[in-house]
Amino acid sequence: MVHISLKAEEIFRLGGLSVTNTLLLSVTAAVIIAAIAILSRRSIRIIPGMLQNVIEFVIEELLRLMDSVLGERKKSEKYLPLVATIFVFILFSNWLGLMPGIGSIGLQEHKEFIPLFRSPASDLNFTLALALITVICANILGILAIGARAHLSKFFNFKSPVGFFIGTLELVSEFAKIVSFSFRLFGNVFAGEVLLVVAAFLIPYVIPLPFLFLELFVGFIQAFIFAMLSLVFTAIATAEHEEAH
Amino acid sequence: MQELFQQLGIDWRLLTSQAVNFLILVTLLTFLVYKPVLKILKERKEKIEDGVRKSEEAETRLSEANLLKKEKLKEAEQDALAMLRETEQKAKTLESALLSQAKEKENAILKNAELIIETKNQEARELVRKEAVGLVREAIAKTVELSPETIDEVLIKKAIGELKSAKQTA
Repeated sequence: MVHISLKAEEIFRLGGLSVTNTLLLSVTAAVIIAAIAILSRRSIRIIPGMLQNVIEFVIEELLRLMDSVLGERKKSEKYLPLVATIFVFILFSNWLGLMPGIGSIGLQEHKEFIPLFRSPASDLNFTLALALITVICANILGILAIGARAHLSKFFNFKSPVGFFIGTLELVSEFAKIVSFSFRLFGNVFAGEVLLVVAAFLIPYVIPLPFLFLELFVGFIQAFIFAMLSLVFTAIATAEHEEAH
Repeated sequence: MQELFQQLGIDWRLLTSQAVNFLILVTLLTFLVYKPVLKILKERKEKIEDGVRKSEEAETRLSEANLLKKEKLKEAEQDALAMLRETEQKAKTLESALLSQAKEKENAILKNAELIIETKNQEARELVRKEAVGLVREAIAKTVELSPETIDEVLIKKAIGELKSAKQTA
């Protein structure tokens, strides 16, 4: 019978830190992305090569999309590192989780199979970390754009009972964002993993193939949604700067 | 709450590790990819804009040069026509001058020829006269030797005959 675990499985311990299979794959994804980045940095030219072309295409498309939300290229360039890294990191993590060998190569411990790698987004620690970073960054960028007083007055408004109530709702919604962000990505990827495991267990070889393609698509869409939502939250937090003045 | 976190596998150390992993990646990508790529995109945009501007300038200059060329060609054509007209005029003047010169020369030659002919005629006449004088002298000398009656007739006939022959030779 297939074993499905909500928690990421521990592979080894590093000091006090328990290194799980999801952490291992997220580090691998980060290393691969960093390697590609180093490779592209070396070959960056005014007349682009193939790799530079691909990177430029992705960045330009993201910038165009961000322009439509933020309204100006300068702002888009400012917030590009956060949004683009979220998109690329989640995309790589999701797609790496579908590679052959991921989930099937592992260790046998106490008659239980523990996969060496597991899709990082199927671990709440990964999605929660990204959600926390996104919400914290959106608030920091909001403070930088409109000032701490103006930004915090959104949550702590004592001018009127209605304002106080709205402020409280805003504050709660910030936490709700973290939960919705993390559980949306986690739910989608974890459900996809379960679906693939069950399909492969019941009817192996051919049947899981369409689901694999579906998961490729879901992996892209979830990365895109996460990046877009972080962009929208950042845009909301910084756009009030214009209204405040 | 703690139990829920445990059930969901949420561990603050793992969460921090994931966050640090992500933040390192953001920093790396910012310095290795985003900034250099944005810089190169900006540079390329500037170069393209510069190229387009220069090409537009070159096109304007080319059209100006073409206009100038047309004007110069027109001017040159007009100059050439004027030069041709002038040359034609000069040629005509020269022709008439040459013709008059030739006429003058011809007249001079004709006059010279007439003068030569006149001189020759005079010389011939002088020669005839001289011969006639000689003949008359000879005739007179012979007449002195003969009788007057016969002499007169003979002399007259002889003189007439000699005069005729002298006229024929001249």
